[in-house]
Amino acid sequence: VKLAWLVAMPVMIGVLYAAAGALGLIGLDAHGFTTAHLARVLGDPSTWRGIAWSLATAAVATAAATVVSAGLAVGFRGTRLGDRLARALAAVPLPMPHLVAATLGVLVLGQSGLLARIAYALRLIRQPADMPALVLDPLGLGYMATMAWKEIPFLTVVAIAVLATRGTRLEEAARTLGATPADTLRRVTLPVLWRGLAPASIAGAIVIAGGFEGAYLLAPSRPLALPLLTYDRYRSIDLARRADAYVLVLLGFALALIAVVALEWVRSRWDVE
Amino acid sequence: MGRRITIGALALSALAPFVILGVWSLGDHWFFPALLPGALTADSWRAVLNGRLAAAVATSGAVAIATAAVSCGIGLPIGHAVARLDGSRRHIAMALAFLPVAAPPIALGLGLQYGFVQLGLGGTIAGVIAAHVVPATSFLVIYFAGVFTALDRRIEDEARSLGATPRQVWTRITLPIIRRPIGDALALGFLVSWAQVPLTLVIGGGIVRTLPLAVYDYLRSGEARYAATGALLLTVPPVLALLAARRERVAPL
Repeated sequence: VKLAWLVAMPVMIGVLYAAAGALGLIGLDAHGFTTAHLARVLGDPSTWRGIAWSLATAAVATAAATVVSAGLAVGFRGTRLGDRLARALAAVPLPMPHLVAATLGVLVLGQSGLLARIAYALRLIRQPADMPALVLDPLGLGYMATMAWKEIPFLTVVAIAVLATRGTRLEEAARTLGATPADTLRRVTLPVLWRGLAPASIAGAIVIAGGFEGAYLLAPSRPLALPLLTYDRYRSIDLARRADAYVLVLLGFALALIAVVALEWVRSRWDVE
Repeated sequence: MGRRITIGALALSALAPFVILGVWSLGDHWFFPALLPGALTADSWRAVLNGRLAAAVATSGAVAIATAAVSCGIGLPIGHAVARLDGSRRHIAMALAFLPVAAPPIALGLGLQYGFVQLGLGGTIAGVIAAHVVPATSFLVIYFAGVFTALDRRIEDEARSLGATPRQVWTRITLPIIRRPIGDALALGFLVSWAQVPLTLVIGGGIVRTLPLAVYDYLRSGEARYAATGALLLTVPPVLALLAARRERVAPL
């Protein structure tokens, strides 16, 4: 455990520096202890809107990706050529960096992107402005779609592994005991799948909620997602406001800590079988 | 029928990104609503060999190689120790090891930035490498914890009881067994650094220009051709790693 603290140490150091910065003890414009930054950031609605937006979009994207992945894993778990082909294809985007996914999001979903051009060719729209905004839009539709697409390969690979290692035996037992295929799916396959997928889904949502590159290229400027808001304050022209970024950094760390505790809790509860 | 459509959609999702980026990296005079570029040019690819993109590729490669080596050196012994834990202590250790990955990268970067600047690491390649090592080590500890959990520890215990020193156990038993996982770990560490954006942005301070940052700049300034070429280059190492991993799994153990 001692050595593991070593790995977490940069985070601890980061927390300490951020705390010192947030309280006006260090930084470009530090004048000694103050709670002004804390009060300003915590009292600013855009802080909470940013957090809510980041969490909500990560949750929606992850939920959609989880459902699709579970469907793919159940639908293509066999040994037929189509099954193996589908599994191989589903894993192809797995190693794609988030930045590349976001770049594709811009090129495909933007108002003069590929989708808009196809819509024009089909005479659905006549100019870029007719295309519904999917990039930098307040709802973050393009952002969520891109992040979900980025998550599906990972979750599908996990789901397939879960079914292969834990599912088959239990399903055979259920069938032997007289369960119908529908019952087996509902009461054995899906619960097993959910237990195996939940930690991966939580981890995926953490990465998306805190992720920078996707939001930087695809998310709206209003509300500003938490990572963007943090970066924006850090680069503020008003030096006195730069320390506000440290408060947001602390909030980001706090949310990450909660998520990690939740994740290990889920694991420790379900690992024992 | 539904299966065919699904497989078709999967094929589209797997292959279209490469086609789209490929066409975009060559497209010239390509304005809305044209479905295909008006002309083709390879200038962005020439820039990879001896132009604006070459330096970014070299910087990214050097940073990623150094990150892989350092984080593997730190992650391996710690992962080994974590694998020997059990029960709640193991969960605590795993949670701690996961923390740098779970922390929003921008928060990690800003938290570390002040200290890095004081150490004279701000805006330097060494600083960027040190920053990349943080999440990379985190991934590798988790990875090696898995590797060593699967490894039969009785082999090591046996060697010890036959009189081998701890150092001999490492060099003669443990390291030879895990030679292949070490290769995988180096690849993983490389990839974590290769795709990293926020840490480079904050610690590098815009002075250290890696390939991902170049892609950003091009995308934001509307130079889609260069952005697409850079993005395609970004996919090369991860795709190679995936292919290598697949081949390995097929090969007999």
